[in-house]
Amino acid sequence: MELVFLLICGGLAVISSLLVIFARSTLHSALWMVFSFFMVAVIYVLLHAQFLAMLQVIVYAGAIMMFIIFAVMMLNLRQERDVKVNARISKVVGIAALLVLFLELMLVSLGNNLNAIQGPITDTLVATHGRVAVISNFLFADYLLPFEVVSILLTAGVIGAVVLAKRVK
Amino acid sequence: MLEFMTILIIKTLVAFVVALLIVAYSTWIERKVLGHVQLRHGPRRVGYHGLLQPIADGVKGFFKEELIPDNADKPIFILAPIISIGAAVTLVAIVPFGDTVTIMGREITLYLTNPDVGLLLVLGISTIGSYGGILGGWSSGNKYGVIGGLRGAAQMISYELSLALAVIAVVMVSGSLSLVDIVHSQAGLWNIVKQPFAFVLFIICGLAELNRTPFDMPEAEAELACGFNVEYSSMKFALFFMAEYCHMFVFAALVTTLFLGGWHGPIIDGPHWFFLKTFFMIFFCVWERSTFPRLRYDQVMSFGWKILLPFGLLNILLTGLWMLIFNI
Repeated sequence: MELVFLLICGGLAVISSLLVIFARSTLHSALWMVFSFFMVAVIYVLLHAQFLAMLQVIVYAGAIMMFIIFAVMMLNLRQERDVKVNARISKVVGIAALLVLFLELMLVSLGNNLNAIQGPITDTLVATHGRVAVISNFLFADYLLPFEVVSILLTAGVIGAVVLAKRVK
Repeated sequence: MLEFMTILIIKTLVAFVVALLIVAYSTWIERKVLGHVQLRHGPRRVGYHGLLQPIADGVKGFFKEELIPDNADKPIFILAPIISIGAAVTLVAIVPFGDTVTIMGREITLYLTNPDVGLLLVLGISTIGSYGGILGGWSSGNKYGVIGGLRGAAQMISYELSLALAVIAVVMVSGSLSLVDIVHSQAGLWNIVKQPFAFVLFIICGLAELNRTPFDMPEAEAELACGFNVEYSSMKFALFFMAEYCHMFVFAALVTTLFLGGWHGPIIDGPHWFFLKTFFMIFFCVWERSTFPRLRYDQVMSFGWKILLPFGLLNILLTGLWMLIFNI
């Protein structure tokens, strides 16, 4: 039963992600992407990872795709507007914030053991603590540094996109 | 297994029918209350004090002519109302109407499912549901529709964040994402006492998510001639309409569950309390609609980002501090 569902949803996810590339209209491909993300979320549910599934729906199918669709729709009636930023102040504040964040990360990740739950993820562990607790424990204790580095990378990506878009103008 | 399936199917049908009845009659409540607030009578021709009006409206919806504009994106145009109503009705599945009852010697829970990520499910599904309005506006190929859809998307992005922040504070106090556990944790003291700021935040953001006055930017009759659903007619429009009221019911049920103690209350038993509180919240939605005028669009956006978001973050910070100090 689960295998059948897995095959159906996996197949749909693959087909819809192909349609993302092949769809003619930009909005249609964005919608296929939403569908594909949704199917991936269903696969997570089949793997008994409800929390991940819901994050997949909220973050990817919800927030990120909403931004993309918003952007696609905006392209039709776009208004250019200059954003004035005081560069010197933002540089100082940015570097200070970066230093504080870096120190904080070092202190936390080198400091005491944050783990509330020990050992590998097993069914009994999940049963006693609940899925969300187990995932958050590993995400914010064992993998804190990679987690934060990835989030900084994503922020850098966003800023990079802005910089690139500005240079084209 | 068979017994389990039978019970589940019966429960699903009952929840579905109850939800649709509430949806139908909240339109009646809305028209009646709005009428009386404005010193009118509201509907009173069909049935006793217009009690059959929702049914008459439904029948009328089926018999209206159905139009699809020439330059509409047809598949999306048809899909949009389906997404809206589908998401709205799905949410009913996790509303905890009450605790367990014993019927014919069996313990039966008065909720369909109780996933341990219940609250996230609510946020996720309601996000998916908001695609309905946005796509409906875009696909109808009408400029008012597009603007309505765009406004819907922008408002969605802005207020979903603050809504999630309000919810997080509740989760911190209750220690669970499951709606049933959250209700259980309020047996002694309701969350509205523990989290008054989150309550206010949730109500404001929830009204914005519902696209209700004063936040009905995507519709804004005066500016956008009905916005995202301007090209919709017949049952497709009715589906949007039903989705809106179903969302309102779910919102009222969520406020009840998260802040007003769910089914807890003295003297009368659980489900009655739940419905009392939920109908009070539905009444509140109508009440505030008749009280506040529509805000200006840019004011809505700046209010969401500059006031509600920092406020929500601050509330989480204070909740955390409070829990740390009192060691909860």
